[in-house]
Amino acid sequence: MYSAKTLERFKNPSFAGGLRGANATGRAEDEISKDLIKIYMVIDEDGVIDNAKFKAFGGVATIVACDIACQMLVGKSLEEALSITEEEIISEFNDIPLDRKYCATLVEEAIKNAVEDYYKRLEKLEKKMGFQD
Amino acid sequence: MDKRVYLDSASTTYVSSEVMAEMLPCFNTIYGNSNSVHSYGRDAKAIVDRARDRIAHAIGAEKSNEIYFTSGGTEADNFAIKGLARAYSNKGKHIIISAIEHSAIMEACEELEKEGFVVTKIPVDSMGLVKLTDLIHEIRNDTILISIMAVNNEVGTIQNIKAIAKIAHDYSIIFHTDASQAIGAIKINVQDMEIDAMTLTAHKIYGPKGVGCLYLKNGIRIEPLIVGGSQERGKRGGTVDVALVAGFGKAVEIAERDMIINQQKLRSIRDYFIRSVQEKIEYVQINGHPQQKVNSIVNMSFDMVDNESLLMLLDMEGVAVSIGSACKAGSTEKSYVLQAMGLDDEHLKSSVRFKFKKNLTRSDIDYAVEVLQKAVERLRSISALTKAGRR
Repeated sequence: MYSAKTLERFKNPSFAGGLRGANATGRAEDEISKDLIKIYMVIDEDGVIDNAKFKAFGGVATIVACDIACQMLVGKSLEEALSITEEEIISEFNDIPLDRKYCATLVEEAIKNAVEDYYKRLEKLEKKMGFQD
Repeated sequence: MDKRVYLDSASTTYVSSEVMAEMLPCFNTIYGNSNSVHSYGRDAKAIVDRARDRIAHAIGAEKSNEIYFTSGGTEADNFAIKGLARAYSNKGKHIIISAIEHSAIMEACEELEKEGFVVTKIPVDSMGLVKLTDLIHEIRNDTILISIMAVNNEVGTIQNIKAIAKIAHDYSIIFHTDASQAIGAIKINVQDMEIDAMTLTAHKIYGPKGVGCLYLKNGIRIEPLIVGGSQERGKRGGTVDVALVAGFGKAVEIAERDMIINQQKLRSIRDYFIRSVQEKIEYVQINGHPQQKVNSIVNMSFDMVDNESLLMLLDMEGVAVSIGSACKAGSTEKSYVLQAMGLDDEHLKSSVRFKFKKNLTRSDIDYAVEVLQKAVERLRSISALTKAGRR
């Protein structure tokens, strides 16, 4: 069902777990499979993603899709992060079962939510510090 | 990968050496066609007859000719559902099954619905038991067949078969039961339990794959499913595989002979497994009936852990388990059995089935539980779920 490469990544994901100092969190949930994922990011003042991690309640494909996405995110600007598509994530897999393609959709959504969360936090912070126009 | 532990004997299991010994001569010594009239054929027929006698005796059938060999449980279920429904369609077109039947029953019923039959699925309670009042409530004037499995393959719950058969007969309805998981686990006597038709399969009781049978009480009509020969009293065409049938007969005989000792072994294995899991792993729920269940099956939910991920991590360490039924595996579909029992999404998604075989050792269980504990802890450490739920 899954390739050796996918299973190896599933067994030893590099980006699984919580992230200390995260200033953005994006969550996404699949209605049918009931998978739930959370992507955490540390974004520096220049809007570059310093680090990214994930937590997931889902199967092999979901965990691997999250790991691929986090690897892609590190070092990218927020605009670049938003331009990551599910097709790119799927192509990293090259063997994802058809009925698991939703994982990539889920990851794309979680990234968008994380970026949105970052801007919301920034807005709040600016308001608090009185930087309004 | 060094050590391996097989905890998926509900899908299938190994063939015992006694059964293999019974089968071996049929491959190159007694290889005749049991339908041929010459001595080779008669020798083969003697073996098939003996297997039929053994099975009939073990299940308390009145006559051996009430046993019809098939290619397994799935064919026997199809044969029973379609064959009985079609044979009695002049009487009515309504069939009652439970919501937790094997997919062979479910899908045979779906085919019948296309032919104009109406199928009612009665619900089960949270422990997997069919409520008899619901069953009675659903019986109609045109109900011709009730089919309820004796033991559920995912949670091991044992139905009140005798009471269900009695209800069916009170309303002159034919009663079929799939006893694939029940034979060797609970005492079955078709006459005493008033069973009209019953599915059995060999490979869950240390027999070979590819063979099973339908018990059908004499006097009940059935339409054949497979035509093309006069075998099995004209009800199931095709040359009988003498070796498989010989192995099946022996497996049933042993299942009956050793039932008490096997059940003692399985009970101690099961209890040791549950105790070990509960000692080492927190937030575990056992699904199914607390008492009215077979000794060999345990279905557990590990909170916050996805069952596919768990299955794969266990597999990487040589421990084989299953999620849902093997007949439905490989898809993202969730267990309809647990769904019917009302499990919430989280517990459904974190459920795993363990089925024990009689030759497991304490060190097998110790190893499996150790691997299980590590895998659960690892998946919990990266789970997006918390004890509080989806927040």
